[in-house]
Amino acid sequence: MKNNECALKVEQLTVNYDKTPVLWDISFEVPGGKLVGIIGPNGAGKSTLLKSLLDMTPQLSGKVEFFGEPFKKVRRKVAYVPQRSSVDWDFPVTAFDVVLMGRFGKLGLLKWPVAADREAARHALEMVGMLPFAERQISQLSGGQQQRLFIARALLQDADIYLMDEPFSGVDMATEQAIIALMDALKAKGKTLFVVHHDLSSVDRYFDWVIMLNTCLIACGPVAEVFHAESIMRAFGKEGILLGEAAKLTQTKTSGIN
Amino acid sequence: MNTAFLDFFIDPVLRAPTIGSMLMCLAASFVGVLAFVRRRSLLGEALSHCAYPGVVISALITPLFFSASEEALALAVLIGAFCSGVIGLWVIDKLEHRFRVSDDAALCFVLAIFFGVGVLVASRIQITHALIYRKIQVFIYGQAATMTDSHVYMYSGLVLLSATILFCFYREIQVSFFDRQFAKSIGIRTRLVDRVLFFLLVLAIVIGIRSVGVVLMAGMLISPAVAARQFTHSLKWMFCIAGLVGAVSGFLGNFFSIALPEWGKKAGFDWDFILPTGPMILLSSVTICFFALFFAPDRGLLSRFCRIVKFRDRCILENVLKSMWRKGEGAKVSFKEFASWASYSQFFTFFLLLRLRRQGWMEKKQNLFCLTSDGRLRAAHIVRLHRLWEVYLVHMGQKAEKVHRSAEEMEHIITPELEKELTDLLKDPRQDPHHQPIPRKEV
Amino acid sequence: MNLNPYWGAGFFHVLALFFKRLFLFLTGQLSWQQMASDEVQIFVLVLLSFASALIGTFLVLKRMTMLANSLSHTILLGIVIAYVVLLPFSQENPSHGLSIEVLLIASLITGVITTVLTQLMTHLMKLQEDASIGLIFTSLFALGIIAVTVFTRNAHIGIEAIMGNIDALHFNDLKIMGLIGAVDFVVIMLFFKEFKIVSFDSGLARSCGYPIQFFNYLLMVLTSATAIGAFRAVGVLLFLAFLVGLPLTARLLTQRLHKMILLAFVIGTVCSIVAVALSRHLLSIYKMPLSTSGLVVTLIGCTYFLACLFSPHRGILKRRS
Repeated sequence: MKNNECALKVEQLTVNYDKTPVLWDISFEVPGGKLVGIIGPNGAGKSTLLKSLLDMTPQLSGKVEFFGEPFKKVRRKVAYVPQRSSVDWDFPVTAFDVVLMGRFGKLGLLKWPVAADREAARHALEMVGMLPFAERQISQLSGGQQQRLFIARALLQDADIYLMDEPFSGVDMATEQAIIALMDALKAKGKTLFVVHHDLSSVDRYFDWVIMLNTCLIACGPVAEVFHAESIMRAFGKEGILLGEAAKLTQTKTSGIN
Repeated sequence: MNTAFLDFFIDPVLRAPTIGSMLMCLAASFVGVLAFVRRRSLLGEALSHCAYPGVVISALITPLFFSASEEALALAVLIGAFCSGVIGLWVIDKLEHRFRVSDDAALCFVLAIFFGVGVLVASRIQITHALIYRKIQVFIYGQAATMTDSHVYMYSGLVLLSATILFCFYREIQVSFFDRQFAKSIGIRTRLVDRVLFFLLVLAIVIGIRSVGVVLMAGMLISPAVAARQFTHSLKWMFCIAGLVGAVSGFLGNFFSIALPEWGKKAGFDWDFILPTGPMILLSSVTICFFALFFAPDRGLLSRFCRIVKFRDRCILENVLKSMWRKGEGAKVSFKEFASWASYSQFFTFFLLLRLRRQGWMEKKQNLFCLTSDGRLRAAHIVRLHRLWEVYLVHMGQKAEKVHRSAEEMEHIITPELEKELTDLLKDPRQDPHHQPIPRKEV
Repeated sequence: MNLNPYWGAGFFHVLALFFKRLFLFLTGQLSWQQMASDEVQIFVLVLLSFASALIGTFLVLKRMTMLANSLSHTILLGIVIAYVVLLPFSQENPSHGLSIEVLLIASLITGVITTVLTQLMTHLMKLQEDASIGLIFTSLFALGIIAVTVFTRNAHIGIEAIMGNIDALHFNDLKIMGLIGAVDFVVIMLFFKEFKIVSFDSGLARSCGYPIQFFNYLLMVLTSATAIGAFRAVGVLLFLAFLVGLPLTARLLTQRLHKMILLAFVIGTVCSIVAVALSRHLLSIYKMPLSTSGLVVTLIGCTYFLACLFSPHRGILKRRS
């Protein structure tokens, strides 16, 4: 993994949800070793971008390459931290079980985790400060603790690229600082992180690179260069709404609904 | 023996099951619409099974402590089923809210356990009160055929009650279903409305299980509502259409359960049976429902398909006009040239040009085709939309080389309102990203 | 009748006799063919609890219980079609049922068709999921009942499908249930961590490359196969009580997944043994023949109620104290 090699290269990515374009002709390149914030209004396709990078939603067209390879070849090198709401927190597993799941991808089908895997899970829990809670059932954890659990799981995957969907939503200040510290540590090791973020005021403090989205790409580049009033206006302003209207019209025409 | 259409309403044996079934389906469809709109369609499935133990227990108690007459039994069974259904409702609510059971598991659990209790008690009376037991078994699949006129009177009363309640509470129901918070804020007692809905649901089920049985009741709640949904968005019309579908299915079920074997016998088959009414009612209802899903004018699958085909066709026509326009003012093109442009067959091209001429967008002069003035205007408009969209995308940050593909699609889709908004936003641009002029808007 | 060693026995006598005979069976002093009908009932129910604990737990966690309910109803149609298709070919006595391979294939096919049709309705017709499930299973079940009436002139097969006929079980059914239970066990154990992650976090599962649809269909297929074993014993509706009731009760008592499955099995076993013994007791002492399957389900319901009271982390009593 080279630091200056392109960590993520996206070409003309178009993703439809139910015949509505959610991502339209997105193309950008991001070099390695950056902490990238993904910004945009609600429904702009930020979560969809992450999911389509991971092959979780079907792409209508386009090409995605991590370090020059398609996702299927570098699956092990990419870790995903989903939104907290996407998981059933009432599930009868402990915190330790959840973190251990990070190894399942590497194990593949039909194999069981071994002692080394468990030790690594314990270590990951320690890194996020959750070791005392290892045997606790996950519904008994607070929002911040649950988020830290997800991060520990991602750490266990020992990936080079981390995709995180709104890790800061609904967590307390202390957890937010802890997560940022972890992210900086990962960046220092040369990892690349893509983080969907909703709070504009903290973008220049946390990230060094930014991708601004509103169904189509508004801007992609170092924060100092592209994160300014004009591009924020274009992403969040009324102009972006027309894209949404156009998308809805396309959907009705192509699915025959009156 | 040939049963005439009218016999179903007159003949003393046939009329009670027919009218009774129609009334029951009517009540079920009204309530089904409510459940469907609230996304709780399967609540009916759970509650109909919950009614079973109530039926059994009340059938057991009534001859012992009250009278043993048919009417008393029918009334007792209704009351028992109702109580049992309400208890089931309470348990489901507690499971979901107090014990955090997911809604599907709560429904399945209550369904199975209550039914098991019913089976247990029924087995007790299987030997000791065999007659009553046989009467109760009727409730599993329904047995409309043994309904009497007194049943019909009872059901009419209940249907009237349901319809009256729905009518009186209509506004409250409509508002609280659409936006609960808003309803609360304007003083509607949403919990009372909920309770009314559940009361009506249990009532409809209690009426219905006599006709279609415990197992199939869920279907009678769902299919008329689904059918109605395909025709309208308005709650009022959904009630009407669903009620109609329900009543018609109630009739058709009875009709076909007798008529089909008769036709079969006439055709020479050895069909010496009567089809069970409950399943026939349900299948009639589901068939109507599928017809609605396919053929409903607005949302039906067929009309959606037709609309898609028409749209694609319009795109092709407009693309031809566009290409003609690009050739320049007064350009004339031969048939051979046309056929070579796109990869359409000669046959298709011929009809394409014929249609374009018929509609007045193109004309034929000395074996060469050219645009009429109307055609020129329309083509110019499409090109305007295309280039306007390209300007917009570049404005939003796309690269100029990449915007053409999207514009090729959007030029057929942009409505006049959207066009106006784009013109205002971009301040009526004169040139597109490729430095080509944008045709002005014709006044 | 008098050949049955349990005839006339009271509750505790039944239990004592059962365990004594169990020991004799296991040590080979009694041949398996000499199994009494009560014992067959107990073993079939215990095996049913075993299978239900395994698949029911994941069905509940994946919120697929309504689909399982739907499946267990549509199986009736599958069985009737298999019966009709094979009628010209087989000499089988209808009341003894078709051969087990045919039944299993019929169950597999109906399982897949039901799931496919339901998804078709949801995605193609844009219908709500609960309405799709309800429409598909009620119409297929109605078709099944009509087919039963037309082809066998005997609506009782339909009633038996709903309620089962536990008193008609014999040793063959035990073998069938055992086979199904074994298959369920092997598949679930083999893919345990896959089922765990697919049920908990499908997002992670997909990014790890696990085929989620495959595991959904696998679970449905297992459910269909188990339903075949179950419907002869307790009928399709009461099968649901095992499938959903046992895991829900276990969930109230534990926070760990593997303990949940184990507890579900244990509770099912206890309820089964108690139900058969109680049924025999009531018959012997009070001359009251009751439906054993109804009794088991009622006991499962009572156990759930007790678990609600005494649950260590959600119990009613715990909160009050």
